[in-house]
Amino acid sequence: MLSTLCLALLLAGCGGGAATSGSPGAQAPAPVVEDAWVRTTEGAKDTSMTAAFLTVSNPGDADIRLVSASTDVAGMVQLHEMVDSGGTKVMQEAKDGITVPAGSHVHLAPGGYHVMLMALKRELPVGEEVSLGLTFADGTTVAVTAPVKEFVEEEDHYHSPTPSMTTSP
Amino acid sequence: MADQPLDDSPAGASTPPVGRRRLLGYAGAAGAGLAGGTALGWGTAAARPTPTPPAVAPEVIRQTYSPHEAHQAGITTPTPAVTRLVAFTLGELAVQPLSRLLKLWSSDIEALMAGRPVLGDPTPELAQAGVSLSVTVGLGPRVFELPGLAAAAPDGFLDVPPMQHDRLQARWCGGDLVVLVAADDATTVEYATRRLVRDARTFATPAWEQTGSWRGTSGGRAVTGRNLFGQVDGTGNPSGELLEATLWPTDPPAWFAGGTTLVVRRIEMDLDFWDRTTRERQEKVIGRRLADGAPLTGQVEHDALDLLAEDATGAPVIPTDAHARRSHPDENNGRRILRRGLNYTHTEVVDGVPVTTSGLVFCSFQASIARQFVPVQTRIDTLDALNDWTHAIGSAVFALPGGFAEGDWIARSLLQP
Repeated sequence: MLSTLCLALLLAGCGGGAATSGSPGAQAPAPVVEDAWVRTTEGAKDTSMTAAFLTVSNPGDADIRLVSASTDVAGMVQLHEMVDSGGTKVMQEAKDGITVPAGSHVHLAPGGYHVMLMALKRELPVGEEVSLGLTFADGTTVAVTAPVKEFVEEEDHYHSPTPSMTTSP
Repeated sequence: MADQPLDDSPAGASTPPVGRRRLLGYAGAAGAGLAGGTALGWGTAAARPTPTPPAVAPEVIRQTYSPHEAHQAGITTPTPAVTRLVAFTLGELAVQPLSRLLKLWSSDIEALMAGRPVLGDPTPELAQAGVSLSVTVGLGPRVFELPGLAAAAPDGFLDVPPMQHDRLQARWCGGDLVVLVAADDATTVEYATRRLVRDARTFATPAWEQTGSWRGTSGGRAVTGRNLFGQVDGTGNPSGELLEATLWPTDPPAWFAGGTTLVVRRIEMDLDFWDRTTRERQEKVIGRRLADGAPLTGQVEHDALDLLAEDATGAPVIPTDAHARRSHPDENNGRRILRRGLNYTHTEVVDGVPVTTSGLVFCSFQASIARQFVPVQTRIDTLDALNDWTHAIGSAVFALPGGFAEGDWIARSLLQP
């Protein structure tokens, strides 16, 4: 049922990303990425960084792991997670990536997982489109186009003081 | 004879005059104490009919519409309780920003009409399914001033020329874009409208907003509905094949397949003067009975008008200047429009004093404004008894593209062919 849905989505192209398989002859159905959007830098206190949100669905029988992301509008891209740090929640790089269990999905949403876009090369006003590439542990890549949307909730600087400066692939 | 039965009394049962009905209502708890029951013909308390709650009109309320049909929703779908129109002025008149806006709106509309929040929705809990939500998008004349788009304008798409009885106010006129947001309840309309207005911010600012209501059900049945004069309003609308021919151009430009045009006229109605007018005169002004919307020459609402019928003195039963006559296709070379009205009551403070006006947001849909709307409106402007009680204070025209396929967006084939 989910595979049929994913197939239909991929064929209809309704927001689902286009996937390419990393390993030839791989049997696992490609992950489906939907409802991607990027928070606008309009009105932001810090316009050098922003976040992308999306949902990853895994129609396959085995867990998959989102390990990295890329885009041409940011100098550095990291996957971030929310952790407890001395009683408060802070964001930090998800060094192990984001696991999407078999037959399930994971939301990257405000307050939770997200794709952090740092060292932005330009402002991102509402309505622009950002191309994002997502890479999974098995080498599969999915490309999505994400609209830039307003998100005015107060930007708590809930990131740990010095985000790690490891380069993203 | 009221058209809103108090209960499900069988058709043909006489409705008691107001006094007796109130007596029944207020004495409901008294039961057998209603000694006059026999005289009223209602028998004993045990036989008194019990009002049952009206059934939901299944084809009107709690609908789910899709933006992916051949035509946008909100044109032939039943008018729900609340509709808000918001017109916008484009900040930059250029293809790319307009395209971005329409893509954003298409994504929003797809989600909202399915009862889902939009991407990045700050109030996702307000999304609700099954509230008959429709969002209809229209392009104003300036869009066709974009380079290369002049030839793409639909046939006969133009602003309504000035009419003698108009008292147009600029604040209710024009617009580069419009959204019509309609739903079963005001909260849904307010939420959806806000999402669309916020997402448009980078590209367009609201120019005017017109909100109105319509009551399209009565006693659980779908009905035509009434304007604030109490008139049944919309009986003359075409249906079936006639409706198709009225709305959809026969040979539209490719991008406009499934599209139609919209005229929005804000019509102010003098309710005080109407209230002072005798019922007989009111019915002659329209040419229809108030009780049930039947033509003065007919028995029931949907009887055809007999424009040739004369009374004993040889005068036409439907007066020469009656609105139903002046707007009738037979007096307009077969021209028809689809009209959908929204009742409004608007209070604003003028020089420190609240002023309330009422009227109708008159939405007219037709394949060609020039060939259908303008000639009929001109005929009405020339002579129509109703002009003494109404006049337009706003006018705007829009081209409504066809529906968009999944993965596509509104008017893409116009802007990115």
